[in-house]
Amino acid sequence: MSEEKEKKNEDFEPKIVGFLCNWCSYAGADLAGTSRIQYPPNIRVIRVMCSGSVDSVYVNRALLEGADAVLIGGCHPGDCHYINGNYKARRKMVLLKNILTTLGMEPDRIWLRWISASEGQKFADTVKEIVNETKKLGPNPMKEKWNI
Amino acid sequence: MIYELKIEDDVPKTVNSFLKQLLESGKVDAVLAMQETPSGKSAFPTMISDPEKLNTNVFAPLLPVSTGAMVSRLTKIKGSDKPLAVVLRACEIRALTELLKLKQADLENIVLIGVDCPGTFPMKTYSNYPGDDDPTEVVLKGESEENMRTACLNCKDPVPETADMIIGIFGADTDKAILLDTRTENGQELVSDMKLSEVATEEDREKAVLEIRNKRDEARKAFIDEHSDIAGVDKLLEFFDTCVNCHNCMKACPICYCRECLFESDVFDVEASKYMAKAKSKGAYKTPTDSLLFHVTRFNHMILSCVECGLCEQACPSDIPLMDIITAIAENAQAEFEYLPGRDPEEEMPMIVYREDEFLDVGEK
Repeated sequence: MSEEKEKKNEDFEPKIVGFLCNWCSYAGADLAGTSRIQYPPNIRVIRVMCSGSVDSVYVNRALLEGADAVLIGGCHPGDCHYINGNYKARRKMVLLKNILTTLGMEPDRIWLRWISASEGQKFADTVKEIVNETKKLGPNPMKEKWNI
Repeated sequence: MIYELKIEDDVPKTVNSFLKQLLESGKVDAVLAMQETPSGKSAFPTMISDPEKLNTNVFAPLLPVSTGAMVSRLTKIKGSDKPLAVVLRACEIRALTELLKLKQADLENIVLIGVDCPGTFPMKTYSNYPGDDDPTEVVLKGESEENMRTACLNCKDPVPETADMIIGIFGADTDKAILLDTRTENGQELVSDMKLSEVATEEDREKAVLEIRNKRDEARKAFIDEHSDIAGVDKLLEFFDTCVNCHNCMKACPICYCRECLFESDVFDVEASKYMAKAKSKGAYKTPTDSLLFHVTRFNHMILSCVECGLCEQACPSDIPLMDIITAIAENAQAEFEYLPGRDPEEEMPMIVYREDEFLDVGEK
């Protein structure tokens, strides 16, 4: 990486779209807020009823419009409110990442994490981790593409 | 059991007279098979109940639609009350199998007759076949594969393994006889009254089938390698540069069965001010919007069931060679889930099942 680009990455604040499930991850994020745990303001949270309901179209949409990373947060395995939605979410993301890999499209911008309602700290740590890793990746090249 | 059908005039006429025998025996009420249109420029899966109107050419080397999707259309509301024989190619049976899993077809009273597929030409090539040669004869001789569709040259398996009965040309001397391989009780029952002679040895067929499978496999591998450079955002945008967002690929796809596609709905429609905001964030914004989103998402929705019939490519008005990327995407995605569409009607589709201890590196790294 050239020095100039490295500098640019340091200044760059990634935009992250987060799809958080109503029953666990969203409550976890809420707990982080009410507990006043500090975490980077880079994430825009969208509440969904289940991580399993996040179709690849929404993730693709965010990435193609220029989001630097996408987080899908669900209940821990075995804890899904709808019994198995998180396992299905995992399969969906495996498929999406596989397709993006074949297309040479940066699958590492997609994050799947299990965050329970009591894990406010884990939510904050997850956002920090994503911000750090995304800064290393650099801005999403789709930001500049107007012919999508 | 493998029987021989002695050639009368030529291969298509031999199959036609076999189908006629079936129809006249009363064991089936109708046959759905490729029949040339009066002009001879095209052929379509046609439902024929009158033996006199039977003028099929099941080896006509073109794929205007997937017969699998046609069976779905015919049986979606209610399955057939009367016995029906459907003649299909391997990719069409695979598509039908996937549609069955998706509860989009009903095989009640339907017997599937598969045909060995030597490959097909694009519609346009078939309609205006150059020279005086008959395209059917050209493919049956198997001498030249010039002009064939890429989907066919890279076919996953040209032998319709899961059919009740196979009309075979691989391993047969097509000047003298073709083969009839009954594979299920239903298939055997259909021909039980016919006087047919069994072939002396099945070795020739086994050898020929292996040979064509290897040939297609090798072509497929080379094809995927050859097009592996279509990767990365810029290459991909260039690849889809001429896409006019007509969704023909989706309409032609036998697997895309949704009554209303997400992309034909108003889910993505927003107010002018929001489009303006998009234009402002990037400085410019192409219309129609969401072309790449459509393709990448469509791959996500259908690729695990993709039977690689190539109808999407044939339907493209801009001649985008879709199979150049779909072949690799299907190969990798299906390998990830160890799934082969059309392999087994009982096999569950990957997106509705799960295991607790799989893909552990994706959830928590």
